[in-house]
Amino acid sequence: MTGPSAEEPRALLFRALDEQGDRLYAFALRMTRDPDLAADAVQEAFVSALRKFDAFRGESNISTWLHRIVYTKTIDLIRQRGKESPLPEGEEGNFGPDDERLARTPAWARPPDEILWGSQTKEALEAAIRQLTPLQRAVFTLREVDGMSTDEVASVLGMEPGTVRVHLHRSRLRLRALLSDHFKGGVRP
Amino acid sequence: MKCDCDELGRRLTDLRDGALGESDCAAIERHLDECASCGALRKDLEDLARLCRESARPRMPLAVRRRIEEALK
Repeated sequence: MTGPSAEEPRALLFRALDEQGDRLYAFALRMTRDPDLAADAVQEAFVSALRKFDAFRGESNISTWLHRIVYTKTIDLIRQRGKESPLPEGEEGNFGPDDERLARTPAWARPPDEILWGSQTKEALEAAIRQLTPLQRAVFTLREVDGMSTDEVASVLGMEPGTVRVHLHRSRLRLRALLSDHFKGGVRP
Repeated sequence: MKCDCDELGRRLTDLRDGALGESDCAAIERHLDECASCGALRKDLEDLARLCRESARPRMPLAVRRRIEEALK
């Protein structure tokens, strides 16, 4: 029979699977863009969390800890798959001329609300998110889609909150530019 | 702080995140009141945030959940 000290991590992780499983899977899916890889990343993350549960002692939030492990696993899987560079060069934590150019992208043309908030726009948003770099996808998904605070995102990704804001802003500007074609034909504000 | 379009283009996320001081916020809000293209930028980014909040989150397939439960036993 397993003793209480060995059962506690399992019980906590089973509860986390119930409460956080969908969030973690959705995050892994956006990162890997592949359901099989996302499933592998989340499964490996839980197994790794069980094996290294001692590392969690002192962590304030099991959700943040699990997101960090899932992020690491997805980056490993993306790298193994070799289809994209996990952290491309030029992805600095400071603003540069490219960011200023993106900010000057013409404003979205305004379609009627039923188109702006319709299913095709949501599909276009998902397609645009897939075009971000892995780091931008992670920052944007955790902050804007998952609703984490900037401090929580910083903790998951192991960076300063100010750096998270730079990557978040850059990803928002890129998505705005990527979606401008989708809104072509609407009425400019 | 003097706020021009480039400065605003860099600081909108800081503003939304509450990461700026009072005088910086005031300078940015003044610029937003006066500059139509920066106002449109803010509106687009607000719409983008709303789109994300309303997007359906994919759910973990049951088979994946069962695999993880087995792995944790």
